[in-house]
Amino acid sequence: MPRAPDAQRWLFRHAAGQRGWLSLAVAAGLAASASTLVQLGLLAWIVSQLLAADAELASLTPAFLALAGCLVLRALAQWGQEVAGQEASLRIRTRVRAELLDHLAALGPVRGAEHAAGGVASQLVEQVEALDGYFARFLPQCILALAVPMAILSIVAWLDWLAAIFLLLAAPLIPLFMALVGVGAERVNRDQFAAVTRLAGHFLDRVRGLTTLQLFGRTVEATCEVEAAADRYRQLSLRPLRLAFLSSAVLEFFASVAIAMVAVYVGFGLLGYIGYGPSSELTLFSGLLILLLAPEFFQPLRSLAQHYHDRAAALGAAGGMFTLLSERPHPQRGKAPPRPDAPALVSLVGVTLIHPRRGRVLGPLDMAVLPGETVAITGPSGGGKSSLLHVLAGFVGPDSGQRCARDGLRLAWMDQRPWLVQGTLADNLRLTAPTASDADLEAALSKAGLAELLASLPQGLDTPLGERGSGISGGQAQRVALARLFLSDADLLLLDEPTANLDEVSEARIVAALQSLAGEGRALVIATHHPALMRLASQCRYIADGRLGESPGEESDG
Amino acid sequence: MGDGLGVGALRPWLRLLVRRRRRLWVGAGLLGLTLMAAIGLLALSGWFITASALTGMAVMASLDVHVPGGGIRAFAVTRTVARYLERLYNHDTVLRLLADLRGSLFAVLSRLDGATLAQQRASDWLTRLTADIDTLDGLYLRLLAPPAVSLALIGLLAAFLGLWLPTLAWWVAIGLVLAWLWLTLGQAWLGMAASRAQVGYRQRLRSLAVEHLQGLAELEAHDCTERHRRRLQGCQRRLHAAQRRLAGVTALGTAVVGLAVGLAMLATLWLAAAAWQREAVSGAVMVMLPLAVLAIGEALALLPNAFTSLGTTRAAAERLNALVAAEQRAPSGRCRRLGDGPLALSLSGVSLRYPGVWQLALETVSLSLNGGERLALTGSSGAGKSSIAALLTRQLLPTAGDIRLGGVPLAEIDETSLRERVGLLGQRIDLFEGSLADNLRIADPAASDERLWRALDWVTLADWVETLSEGLATPVGEGGRALSGGQARRLALARLWLRDPGLVILDEPFAGLDRETVESLVPRLDAWLQGRTVLFLVHQLDDGSTVPPGVTHHAHLVAGQLTGFARHCAIGQDVGKATTMPNEVRNG
Repeated sequence: MPRAPDAQRWLFRHAAGQRGWLSLAVAAGLAASASTLVQLGLLAWIVSQLLAADAELASLTPAFLALAGCLVLRALAQWGQEVAGQEASLRIRTRVRAELLDHLAALGPVRGAEHAAGGVASQLVEQVEALDGYFARFLPQCILALAVPMAILSIVAWLDWLAAIFLLLAAPLIPLFMALVGVGAERVNRDQFAAVTRLAGHFLDRVRGLTTLQLFGRTVEATCEVEAAADRYRQLSLRPLRLAFLSSAVLEFFASVAIAMVAVYVGFGLLGYIGYGPSSELTLFSGLLILLLAPEFFQPLRSLAQHYHDRAAALGAAGGMFTLLSERPHPQRGKAPPRPDAPALVSLVGVTLIHPRRGRVLGPLDMAVLPGETVAITGPSGGGKSSLLHVLAGFVGPDSGQRCARDGLRLAWMDQRPWLVQGTLADNLRLTAPTASDADLEAALSKAGLAELLASLPQGLDTPLGERGSGISGGQAQRVALARLFLSDADLLLLDEPTANLDEVSEARIVAALQSLAGEGRALVIATHHPALMRLASQCRYIADGRLGESPGEESDG
Repeated sequence: MGDGLGVGALRPWLRLLVRRRRRLWVGAGLLGLTLMAAIGLLALSGWFITASALTGMAVMASLDVHVPGGGIRAFAVTRTVARYLERLYNHDTVLRLLADLRGSLFAVLSRLDGATLAQQRASDWLTRLTADIDTLDGLYLRLLAPPAVSLALIGLLAAFLGLWLPTLAWWVAIGLVLAWLWLTLGQAWLGMAASRAQVGYRQRLRSLAVEHLQGLAELEAHDCTERHRRRLQGCQRRLHAAQRRLAGVTALGTAVVGLAVGLAMLATLWLAAAAWQREAVSGAVMVMLPLAVLAIGEALALLPNAFTSLGTTRAAAERLNALVAAEQRAPSGRCRRLGDGPLALSLSGVSLRYPGVWQLALETVSLSLNGGERLALTGSSGAGKSSIAALLTRQLLPTAGDIRLGGVPLAEIDETSLRERVGLLGQRIDLFEGSLADNLRIADPAASDERLWRALDWVTLADWVETLSEGLATPVGEGGRALSGGQARRLALARLWLRDPGLVILDEPFAGLDRETVESLVPRLDAWLQGRTVLFLVHQLDDGSTVPPGVTHHAHLVAGQLTGFARHCAIGQDVGKATTMPNEVRNG
């Protein structure tokens, strides 16, 4: 768990990148406050001219007009402050997302997939959005909360130093209380963000498995679970809220008491009840102005307190993101020393792979894949077939040993779980082959054994697919993913169980198509149990318990 | 409010709010009290200071300082305490409502049928369940209470001004009500398009993010990560454009509050001064009135932000409404229970068409099995095998035809009984984030650890689990990602073993399993399947590695049509005959 200061420093670094817009927001905020002060001064002056100096109302018209001008100026400045703050926040959020995506790319598919997709997606979307208030409002307000009360305090001190002392006495208590309350609120907020992330994962998981829950007749229990999770969320939410409200209540209390004290003091001073200090010099103008300035003295601090939960929310979100960002990519990952002279496309030398929970999952092993070669990898489930493919692909760095790849090696990958996105059939194919023509797509689909399906679809390539390929069967989904391989110009194809869930007819077509790919000089590495694919291979390797051996005889003749 | 703003979509949710009427009134009362105290504090202080100054200058004869002094202190304390209570009370109300909503919405989802479920995307649902319901919390705290309370306060303020200057009261009331209309309806109108679009963009961004994360391997291997990221960034740009517009509109609203309240104050000052000069009011009242007007800014300041994003709330409400409307109520008459022992099974003339799909998924399929018999249903992927499984488990309803289990029409079987008596190992394995034990206990919540170990032993996973440091408590990861495909499938099989179904449907039970595992599994499976009716869904029967044990019948599906249904006499002998039959049918 990273400490809060790290997350905060990270936020500051991003703020520094948008100094321009943030400064503009502060400048506009200062202009708004200045016009407020002038406006209140004019108000007090008009009143005192009327009541104390017996001025004619008509003679005060210029003052009224100036006051109206101040109102307009203040409206403009307030608008500018909000717009500039928002612009800074938008730019920072764009950069934070880019940083997260860069980092996920650096971690690689295997490490990246260790994080629940729902949780990371929530970091990329909701939690980045949660930074908004911090940059758009809280940071500019921090400076205003310091500058504006100081300015007001000096004006009040000039008018009546004792009144200024009343305000000053209340003011330092405020940051103190805010700090005390804020520290607690921050921690609780972090907990809450963790809970929200878990809640998001919980929902995604339960909703995805709704069919299974229905089949086991457990929807009622699952609903109760969801309700319980939502209620835990309510309780977790109320805790930081209670604290956040308390911090603003403390502020309100001091502000109200200080205003009341100033009002009573000024009133008694004007009545001449107070026989000491500067109160004898109070006039209606100075008295009224002090009264009007007193709430304005606290206003920036109150705004800050209102935005304080923005800070806590941002720190909570930043903590989660920082945890992800501080996860170091594997030092060996993506660092395949190119060997232009070596014959192999990719080779592993003394490679081992260690899983934090499961221990050694691979190696030490040596392996080389030569151009045009087809290697079948067999072995018991959980024996290390997938891990071997991950290392070959460079998705994970070896914990010891070395992976070498030919310079400019192009890869293609297919998983046990075909990756399909919401969009049309063509969209799905073009994910990895953006420039392919419709004819290319059709050819690839027919090579993957989907020609008949395509012919039966009235919308053809524009037929929409749902998430995870809903709308087509598992076998068809797998063949759509296979069609992607046919579209790629990769030298090396890595396939994890490519014929799982396919019938023999399609399978035979695919075996033939894979063979023709191999004939084009592409190398294939296939993890499979399937005899037909083992026959296709020029080399059969057996992996069990993470170690490579020669294929046991009966495995290959099927 | 006109329906140009689409407030109709909010109606069901407003009705839901009304059920907590008392809490809402108390909350609004507390809010009103807070704001009134703020107005009172500033107005009374202004009056007191002016009166003191005038007394000091001997314009006024004498002043009772205790009543206003006490009043000022009372307003100050009231404001603080009422504000704290109001916020705590109202947020609790809202969160209570949200917890109920979340649960009831999941209950709605869980009653949707297979076809509707398949149309939806899991990440959409997540957004619906969390973000949409959270968005609706704005309904009371942001969209109902503040405008009601601020309108009431404008009325009270006007009445207060009217005590001295009725004409002034009318002008101020008209001005502030116009401002109020702008801050509510006007802001909502200006922000509607952007705030509605924002919901969609955010949801799309989320889907793209999930897709990006799930496709990390393919994207990296094909070197397409950058390209997919650009899609993500394009969506983000549109989201940010909408947010930029909303921020601009909200800022406009904030400026309008300041300007409207300031001008109303100015007008009050002018008219009150004129009244003072003709000696209609005292000097202290002349100061008090504009200050009271100035203080109402606090009430109006709550409006612009909330109403600019009315579209967000509306869009969320509309989508929730659509979801509730999609819920299919379970037809009545599902009350017959299935007997013990193996279940006979019959389909006669069953057809199935998926909504929006051109082809029939199944066309007049008829077959029947006696209790305890085992049917191998073959066919290539997409031929309709999984559809038959979905029909028999009532995830889908047939477009035509009749299905019976144990002689009882499927539509009349009690839900609980059906779930207890029919077991399905589907092609897609759903594992839930949680431990191995949690996933097994979905089948039997009361199962002891020992029974779970026996289940794992039965699917030859016990040895593997014993090597794990956390044993049964080992987390399986999201969707079972920490497990290999074969392990996940065997875990799902173990789940089935924990139940006692009379009809077992096994969709490609051995897919992704190595030969050694299959060889040790088949005899155990065979033994467990004794005394149950079994439906094996497999691609091919002569596929050497996956012979389902003890098959008595064989049927073959081609593109949704049954092309052969025959007794399967001797296991493993006339497989060739059985698989050639469909060809004969096709040729003939």
